[in-house]
Amino acid sequence: MLKYVVRRIFQMIPVFIGVTLILFILRAPGVLPGDPVRMITGERAITEALRLQVIEKHALDQPLHRQYIIYLQNLMRGDLGESYQRGRPVVDIFAEKFPNTLRLALAGIIVEVIIGLTAGIISAVRQYSFLDVLVTLSTSILVSVPVFWLGMLFQIFFGIRLKEWTGGAFYLPISGMSSGEFPDWVHLILPAITLASVSTAYVARIMRSQMLESMGQDYIRTAEAKGLTRRAVTFRHALKNALIPVVTFVGIDFGVMMGGAILTETVFSWPGVGREIFLAVGQRDWPIVMGGVVIIVFLVMIINLLVDLSYALLDPRIRYGGAGE
Amino acid sequence: MSALLEVKDLATHFMTRDGVVKAVDGVSFVLEPGKTLAVVGESGSGKSVTALSIMRLIQEPQGRIVSGEILFKGDDIRKMSDSQVRSVRGDRIAMIFQDPMTSLNPVFRVGRQIGESLILHKGMTRKQAFERAVELLEMVGIPHPRDRAKDYPHQFSGGMRQRAMIAMALACDPDILIADEPTTALDVTIQAQILELMMEMQERTGAAIIMITHDLGVVADMADDVMVMYAGKQVEYGTSDRVFYEPRHPYTWGLLASLPRHDVDEKGTLLPITGQPPSLINVPPGCAFHPRCPHARGLCREEVPGLHDVGGGHLTTCPLAPDERPSEAPAQREGA
Repeated sequence: MLKYVVRRIFQMIPVFIGVTLILFILRAPGVLPGDPVRMITGERAITEALRLQVIEKHALDQPLHRQYIIYLQNLMRGDLGESYQRGRPVVDIFAEKFPNTLRLALAGIIVEVIIGLTAGIISAVRQYSFLDVLVTLSTSILVSVPVFWLGMLFQIFFGIRLKEWTGGAFYLPISGMSSGEFPDWVHLILPAITLASVSTAYVARIMRSQMLESMGQDYIRTAEAKGLTRRAVTFRHALKNALIPVVTFVGIDFGVMMGGAILTETVFSWPGVGREIFLAVGQRDWPIVMGGVVIIVFLVMIINLLVDLSYALLDPRIRYGGAGE
Repeated sequence: MSALLEVKDLATHFMTRDGVVKAVDGVSFVLEPGKTLAVVGESGSGKSVTALSIMRLIQEPQGRIVSGEILFKGDDIRKMSDSQVRSVRGDRIAMIFQDPMTSLNPVFRVGRQIGESLILHKGMTRKQAFERAVELLEMVGIPHPRDRAKDYPHQFSGGMRQRAMIAMALACDPDILIADEPTTALDVTIQAQILELMMEMQERTGAAIIMITHDLGVVADMADDVMVMYAGKQVEYGTSDRVFYEPRHPYTWGLLASLPRHDVDEKGTLLPITGQPPSLINVPPGCAFHPRCPHARGLCREEVPGLHDVGGGHLTTCPLAPDERPSEAPAQREGA
């Protein structure tokens, strides 16, 4: 088990190198427009001395591979550089934004798990019923709706129209994390549902198909032959088997959400990691973009590892590190 | 009313897109306490569906028992409520399935799966059920039963899994054990062990057994009675001795002739029954076996033959007189 974890951690190194390398090549002069010095100093005219100072500070005069090695060396020390625009360390900026993203991600996962699992199970247990058709149809629509558009629809409906119709008595906040008007958790509702929408639909569909597959297995007939009730057969014997792939999906999805939901955070002005990266791309603030991507890659890899390890708990056939089969 | 199980004119049909599949069509038999009935026939002859019908495990709404009575100790299982049926399943009538690889739930420990019916039917605690599961595993010949009860099914070999299945079925000391081709998925040596174990268990527990198989050789030593099924109908039914030594239906002759024998002649070839079993949606008119039967005559193609007694409760649908049976070489020589 420990061996397996160590091996997996070593496997992360080439991924890191690959990702950072691609980003470095993208920002090389001539690939994307924009002079890095201009990015840092802004549009106003600057003296040659200041220009040289900036180049010196950010090692922009070095050849690209030198710059890359410097970046990696700094990365090892946990230093992601300094934002061009804000003049603050990238690590500090993300440390400030990350809790907001985490909150949104947790809320999103809760929505995804509760609604997705329930819908999937009902749909499988009552196959071809009205509810099943409803779930199948709505999930098909949901997976094909762009997230930002759905977010905007929610804003229009729950934020603006609802306020008009109820004469201002009832509506939901459509931007930001807090206001004097609502408790903080109310601000989470629309962004969390928007963020979770597509994944919830996927969870429902995976759950449904897994449940149906599992209920057709021989061991289900064995369980029925024991005289167990339909409920015990479904929720004890079928569900535990069916959950394994769903846990994978939800786990990986959590990793993705923690990396910041760029679209959702932008639409709802949620001050998280994703929105920060979105703004930085517009301003060509490379250290933030790179730092953000590095953090996301790291988080996704860690979560994937945890998901893989959780298999061993759920599925006894899987044991890591040579024990068992 | 001394019969433990009496099935009368059972018919189970499946509604499919292509039409009604008459998987079981008019089957009757009697099972006495402690006896063994073998149900023999090719794949698709309705053996398993008969078994599942007795347990009322037919997948509804596609499948449905359309007629007949299934009298267990005089009570019709067909008329029982769902909860009454559940109290019979696993407790009074238990079942072993064909493929032990897939019939155990991969995510639960073996001991727990065995104990499940004890908790359900005998009101045991988890701990009591586990202790009993260990005893049962020991009884079916699993070494180190206490450790193995904590294993998962994938840690068991095929033969051991089938032993575990038997332990599971015997947990509540059932009156009837239905075994649906329990040895088909196993190696030949393991097959013999499992059959031996089943006979031993029958002696110990006094359970009646319904043994479903396509292999007459398997049941030769075991069965008291034999029922031969073809295309959802029973074509021959009688004591094991009668069916083996005086088979009256050409299909039974075919089954016997297709058994490998090493006692008769060394270079003897196996004699398969030619042709395919009929579609159960369009069963041939008359005797369903007539297209494959070398003795078929005019009437066989027109009229569905009924079961008739040829002496000593030995029933067959074939009107052929005993002297019309070809002597040593059974039915299919000319067709083979």
